[in-house]
This record gives sequence, structure tokens and C-alpha cells, in this order.
Amino acid sequence: MDKVIKLWSVYQDTFLSGLVGTLWLSALTVLFGTLLGMLVALMRMSKLRLPRWFAGIYIEILRGTPILVQLYFFWIGLPKIVPFELGDTACILVALIINASAYISEIIRAGINAVDKGQWEAARSIGLSEFHVMTRVILPQAVKNILPALCNEFISTIKGTSLASVFFVNELTTSYKTVQSVTFLALQSLIIVAIIYFILNFTLSKLLILLERRLMNRD
Amino acid sequence: MIDEIIRTEGLKKNFGKLEVLKGIDCSIRRGEVVSIIGPSGGGKSTFLRCLNLLEEPTGGSIFFEGEDITKQKKRIAAFRRKIGMVFQNFNVFPNMTVLDNITLAPTLELKIPKAEAEKEARELLARVNLLDKADEYPRKLSGGQKQRLSIVRALAMHPEVMLFDEPTSALDPEMVKEVLNVISDLAKSGMTILIVTHEMAFAREVSDRVLFICDGIITEEGRPDIIFNCPHHPSTIRFLSQVL
Repeated sequence: MDKVIKLWSVYQDTFLSGLVGTLWLSALTVLFGTLLGMLVALMRMSKLRLPRWFAGIYIEILRGTPILVQLYFFWIGLPKIVPFELGDTACILVALIINASAYISEIIRAGINAVDKGQWEAARSIGLSEFHVMTRVILPQAVKNILPALCNEFISTIKGTSLASVFFVNELTTSYKTVQSVTFLALQSLIIVAIIYFILNFTLSKLLILLERRLMNRD
Repeated sequence: MIDEIIRTEGLKKNFGKLEVLKGIDCSIRRGEVVSIIGPSGGGKSTFLRCLNLLEEPTGGSIFFEGEDITKQKKRIAAFRRKIGMVFQNFNVFPNMTVLDNITLAPTLELKIPKAEAEKEARELLARVNLLDKADEYPRKLSGGQKQRLSIVRALAMHPEVMLFDEPTSALDPEMVKEVLNVISDLAKSGMTILIVTHEMAFAREVSDRVLFICDGIITEEGRPDIIFNCPHHPSTIRFLSQVL
């Protein structure tokens, strides 16, 4: 235990910089994953066959292959197809976003489908445009179903970003690798990293419960 | 020519292999109050829901003020603004106040200024005795109040026709009357009304004409006194003997 505390006091900057990296990766992944996920969800629910199929295949492939394989795929493939320089972090971020978008799109779709069909009909019957039906009537009601699941997705994204350490992207698990390669104190640095992850996710899930309660009360 | 507002020609609707509407021809005059009665599963509600294209017909035509709306899919929202609808399950928007339920479509789609829309909404609410609930959320309302709200929400768009799909079927008995009174006042004001109902006394009293729909076709139609007193078609006779 002494060693852990000592290690922390010496290398806390490294760990904290890793934590900041993890937070950035997770936040950007959830933010853009949600935007992309919304688009995919709308395509999945489209009346047109082509976007529906495309979204279906997109989701199935991303859910049916391991995330690590996807990270490798984008890490190797993406720099070859884009016409500009792309760092490892950017490639990994894109892969994380695309992976998250598949899961988030299903969360959004389920949330929208859970809104009573009568609401669609009533909104259409008063002559609202399809855009307003969605944005004014359906989505505000779907958010209540979507938010809790989305917060869970946020937590699993945070844990998922640890895979970025395979590519030495600056984040928490990478900071473990850095510290242990300098100090050879593998177990001690691992304990520190695990504690930080735990505190982060525990706090988040408590916040999530609070948020859920507030949403419940509002209705 | 009579002032016709809606006409259907050979209107058909299939759900998969099930043929629910088998060709409905009918014509509704402006200002007419038409009750649609018949056995459950006969196609009454489907017919009504086809009229504002909540159900897409599989065949036939629907003319609204002379235009075939089944061929005007892009302008469907514009047609629906002229056709109000009230549902069995109210379908009020739970995420908005009573007032916002009413002003939503007028402000968004008719571009009526918010203040003006609210003023009119309050006038409409006063007409159905709900003015004191204007700032409440629908969860605080009783079934009868929700249904009166949904009627007002439709009226706020100044529709030319009102469709009622079993508006009292989901209500507790003591609330049926308050909703029927509103509909009956509306009928007296000259609104064109089509109502699917199981309230036979109401249909008899309020309507100008009764359509009897059974097995996807109109088997009999006519003035309420004739339909209720001396029905001709065997299906009408059987149905009325069961419900009256």
C-alpha cells in the first residue's frame, strides 16, 4: 500500500493526464456517437428501403465484430483512404465514435418506438409536418426513455476507451503502461488506474440515478 | 350540385390478406352530421382513419373538396389541417401543458403569433369548461377533460370537417355526457362531423344521416329515424336488435 501511495505522489501528473485523455475520448465519442447514432436511427426507421438496409447492415457489422478488431481496422485503414495526415488518436477516436453510434442508434430507436403510436397519429392528425411531429411531439417524449440508457452507454464507453492503450493513445490505461515501464511496479500502477476508473464510473452512475429520478418526477 | 366536402369512390383497405374495406362509396355534404355505426371489426374506424390518410387506402379514391388526396401525398399535412380528428384514447400530448397542446399546431403550421393563438385557445377552453386547466399538464385531467381538450386541440386548426373515432368508448360512464354535449354543440354550430359511435341514442338524436358499415361495405344508410325504426338490411336488423 505504501508503494501505491508513493507511486501516486510521484507519477500523479502522468495518471491525471491519462484521466483527462480518457475523459476527452469518452466525451467526444458519446457526443459524436449520439449525433451519428441519431442519423443511423432515423435511417433505420425510414420508409425508404435503401437507407433502412444500409443502417441495418451498419449496425449488425459493428455489433457483430469485436471493438478491438474495429480499432485495428480503422487504425490501419483510415490513414490509407483519407487524403490528409491522420494521427493514431484521430483514427482511434473515429473508430470509437462509429462503434458507439451503432449501439446508440439502437437505444434511440428503442426510445422512439416506445412512444405510444397514438401520439404519432394525433400529431399528424392536427397537420404537423413530419419534422415537427418528430421534433415537437415524439423526441421530447422519447428522451425520457433514451437518456438513462445513453448514460449507461457513456459508462461503457469510458471503459471501452481503455482499448485505445493498445495504440498508445494518451488515456488512463496508457498511463499505466507508461508508469510501469519506467518503475516496473505493474501491480501498484494498475491498482491506481483501477481506482480512478472506479471512482469515475461510480460517480457517473450515481449522477445517472439522480437524473433518472428527476425525469421521473417531472412526469 | 350539392355542396359536397368529402367523397369516396371504391375505397379499399387491406391489412395483409385481410380485406377490411371492400369498396366504400359515399358522399358527405358540408355541414352534415353523419354517424357511422355497425358491428366491431366491420371497418368503421378504418374507414374514418382512411379519410385523413392515417391509414393509407389500398384502392379507390378520396376526394376532399374535389381533390383526390390519395394522389397528393406531399400535401398530406395541408389536408390534415382541414380535417380534425378525435381519438378513442384522447392522445393528448403529455409533455406539454393544456394550452401548449392547443397552440402547438396553429403556431407552427399556420404561423399564428403565440399571443393570438393563446387567446383563441383560452376562448375554446372556456367553451368546453376547461379554462381553469389551461396551465395544467394532461396527467392532472380526467378522461372526459382529456377528451374535451383533444376536441379543442383539433378545433384550434379551424378544420372544415371533424372526425370522431369512438370518442366516448374509453370514458367512465359519468363522463360520457360532458363529451357528447360538446360534440352536439359543435354539430349545432354547423360543423361537418363524421362520428363512429356506439352511443345509439346520440347518433339518433344528433345526426342527419346514419351509415351502417358491416364487413367492409356500407350495407345501409339513411335518416336516423328510418335506420333505427325500420331497418331493411338483415345485418342492420340483427345489429340493432342486439344493441338497442
